[in-house]
Amino acid sequence: MGEKIMVKGTEAIGEAAIRAGCTVYFGYPITPQSELTEYMARRMPQEGRVFLQAESEVSTVNMMYGASSVGVRVMTSTSSPGFSLMQEGISYMANARLPAVFVDVVRGGPGLGDIQPSQGDYFQVVKGGGHGDYRLPVYSPSSLQEAVKLTIHAFDVADKYRTPVVIFADGMLGQMMEPVEFPDPVDLSTLPSKDDWALTGARGRKARYVTSFNIDPYELEKMNLVLQETYRKVEAEEKKWEEFMTEDAEVIIVAHGTVGRIVKSTVKMAREKGIKAGLFRPVSLYPFPYERLSELAEKVDIVMTVEMSAGQMLEDVKLAVLGKARTPFYGRLAGVIPTPAEILEALMKEIRR
Amino acid sequence: MAFVGMFGSGKTEIAMNMALKLAKEGENVALADLDYVSPYFRSRDKRGFLEEFGIKVVVPPGKYVWADTPMIPPEVFGILSNKDIKAVLDVGGEEDGIAVLGYLRTFMKNTTIYFVINTRRPFTNTVEGIVTFYEKLRNRARVDFDFLVSNTNLGPDTTEEVIKEGEEIVKKASKILEIPVAFTVVPSFLKDCDCEFDKFIIERYMELQW
Repeated sequence: MGEKIMVKGTEAIGEAAIRAGCTVYFGYPITPQSELTEYMARRMPQEGRVFLQAESEVSTVNMMYGASSVGVRVMTSTSSPGFSLMQEGISYMANARLPAVFVDVVRGGPGLGDIQPSQGDYFQVVKGGGHGDYRLPVYSPSSLQEAVKLTIHAFDVADKYRTPVVIFADGMLGQMMEPVEFPDPVDLSTLPSKDDWALTGARGRKARYVTSFNIDPYELEKMNLVLQETYRKVEAEEKKWEEFMTEDAEVIIVAHGTVGRIVKSTVKMAREKGIKAGLFRPVSLYPFPYERLSELAEKVDIVMTVEMSAGQMLEDVKLAVLGKARTPFYGRLAGVIPTPAEILEALMKEIRR
Repeated sequence: MAFVGMFGSGKTEIAMNMALKLAKEGENVALADLDYVSPYFRSRDKRGFLEEFGIKVVVPPGKYVWADTPMIPPEVFGILSNKDIKAVLDVGGEEDGIAVLGYLRTFMKNTTIYFVINTRRPFTNTVEGIVTFYEKLRNRARVDFDFLVSNTNLGPDTTEEVIKEGEEIVKKASKILEIPVAFTVVPSFLKDCDCEFDKFIIERYMELQW
């Protein structure tokens, strides 16, 4: 690890990607993540790597497809409306089994919405905004040091399972500043070999192709089954979460990303009032850590979900809890950030019910 | 006075602290939030708090405070022209943020411009980096800067060593650029630290509470 520096979330993710061996970045500016594109515009040439501003998010995702096909580590970043535009390409990349990292710095929606932080893209990012039977591993950091760690991890997961991976960062996480330390840059020659599938030139070997297409349904089904087998492995091996004061908790609050961080304050405030609250913070949104949350739900009456959305992760929480506890919800919409105090008030109402 | 610099160099915290200091000294103070490039963490977020101290906060009208579009409130010309008002300008970061000074420059004859530097930020962590971006910003602003400000910090993790290390780098840049260092910014929790330049002790108003 090097010395500590003060960074914005967007810069933390950009620098982490460079350290992880991202050799190509494509992007198109959109608030509140344009600083990430700007950071890469400055930093990638310094490293002798490729930065390219595309003419739209649609071309960005197709450039990602091309770059990933030849075996390099590739990333883009965008915010909600831009991520919507990328969906077709992401679905193609999923079935073509192309590793890549997408960063969605989520803002208020739907539609043009606003430029304030939100988590309203959960369904789109976690459940799949594109067509067909695919999933994407998704990571939701709640601090900038964690964003650094998860960005690097995202590249490893993408290569290991040959899949696009998403960093789900709300606008607040993108814009806030914290001191962080970066690990030393990875030696590119030590990255996993992609020689068995990447388009590296067919001289001396049989030609191969990278595609999401097969006109024969039986063959296409086989491709689908490979994907499904991959997702079962991801679900078995890649779940991540954080627990805060859950050991003796009598009520559990589930929150991810920035809200997870806010709820830590709520938990402390609740404990000062004698209420044994605890936080369960999913870090991987897919695969969602159902089993552990299910275990925790057995010991409590209330598992409350808090999101900057109308209740999207709530559906995964309910799938984990399966009626073992009450599952109330508190959320703010459109870019409004809930305060620790208002979350506590919502919790108190539920406890009194 | 106007505070300019790179993204996240600390312009907003310093502008707010300066406005508060002047207001407490009995001056008639106006703070203009000219940051139209950053979507969040702007001095307008603390408007109510600043107004409690009698500071006039100049921001785009109504709902446009939430926008990141290049709107210059007309009151800016007023506060810059009125000799009875101490105007503090909080300017947006980097080349795009500073472009507004070019537009305002005929009204800024009596405005002192401070270039704020945090050497623990990307791109201004070396003397060469500071010189490069100083020139880029000055060319875009089309006005000369008067002072450098040493604002090296790691937020809550700032130490006396970090501040001193920053002063050393800023001092070298100051020699090359032939422009003096006005002061070193020191967070209140390190107020007794030993600095080479004059100390400007600040509270960190923009810090997240969670």
